[in-house]
Amino acid sequence: MNAVVLDGSRNEQGQGIVTVLTAALAQAGYATEVIALREKTIAPCKGCFGCWMHTPGECVIDDEGRQVARAVARCDLLVYFTPVTFGGVSSGLKKAVDRLIPNISPFFARVRGETHHQKRYAHCPSLIGLGTLPQPDRQAETLFKTLVEHNALNFRSPRTAAAVVALDRPDDIEAIARGLVEAVTQ
Amino acid sequence: MTEKRALLLVGSPRGIEKSTSGRLGGHLLDTLKARGFGTEQVHVHAAVRSPDALESALAAAAAADLVILSLPLYVDSFPAPVIAFLENVAERRTGAGRAGLFLLIQCGFPESEQNATALAIAERFAAEVGWRWLGGLALGGVETYGGSAHEVLEQIGKALAEGKPAPDLAAKKAMPAWLYRAGGNIMWRRMAKQNGVAGKLRARPYED
Repeated sequence: MNAVVLDGSRNEQGQGIVTVLTAALAQAGYATEVIALREKTIAPCKGCFGCWMHTPGECVIDDEGRQVARAVARCDLLVYFTPVTFGGVSSGLKKAVDRLIPNISPFFARVRGETHHQKRYAHCPSLIGLGTLPQPDRQAETLFKTLVEHNALNFRSPRTAAAVVALDRPDDIEAIARGLVEAVTQ
Repeated sequence: MTEKRALLLVGSPRGIEKSTSGRLGGHLLDTLKARGFGTEQVHVHAAVRSPDALESALAAAAAADLVILSLPLYVDSFPAPVIAFLENVAERRTGAGRAGLFLLIQCGFPESEQNATALAIAERFAAEVGWRWLGGLALGGVETYGGSAHEVLEQIGKALAEGKPAPDLAAKKAMPAWLYRAGGNIMWRRMAKQNGVAGKLRARPYED
């Protein structure tokens, strides 16, 4: 099994958390690729539908966004790592997430009573969201978890789990990382 | 009396002129202009591309009494450049204690409820930066609305011009979800045929 961690942090301050997460993934049998998005040139999605209607399955923008989409299409588990930003994800993570649209089909389907897109690939990765906040914040945490859950529905992830690490409580990190991995592998 | 200022932030990659976000936001802006507001429009994607454009957009936000953020839903949230702009606003606390925020959001699914998470993110942003939350209008499958979205925007414009939060209004839909899905799937096939990729729509270029 392999996992891809999309690291949407602005700097390297969260690397300790990524290391703990990677260790938890290794223990569960995952080989993990960590992609530090701040080091990648990824242009914003143009909203042109070219990835559906001109070069189906591949974005028309030829930059590192394509490589991220390729890695995600081939993995078993996708992990968002991001500072929780207004209850959502950071711009650093979102620039890559917006470019994952080629990995789903343009065709509509009814999923859990709502309209979503059909799968492009038979195998879709499960999705973990691991957010960070300076201190505990119940409202932001709830919103972040809801966002990840809805993303999982849109990307047709078979399993999903999300949690937030409060940076003033570093002792909790290991248990949270282990809990997330267990939630999507059991 | 000092003229009130309304700023339209268009968060569509297609720009102000060619996007649904620009068109709908522009209609709301016109209703405010007719009520005496000074108005300005900024394309967010262009604003975050250069330091000078960013400074200019932040200055416009700092001077605004009312900010209308009009954008398409992207993966349950805002397009990345919009988040980047809002991060800059938050860092500098631009317009704190002055601006009010109204969100105009539309998604490519027929259910307007799918915008709920993004609405909550906008409200949370407003609380964090000290802007007054004035509510939002969430639209699904906007091309099916006909003129009803404009009627709703005019009612919202009237409330915002009076300094009130926007009334909680839903634009009347013209099409049920099942029909939207069926029609949409036909449209995709037709478009692919025109582009010469009809047989490749289900391509899997990244398969092992």
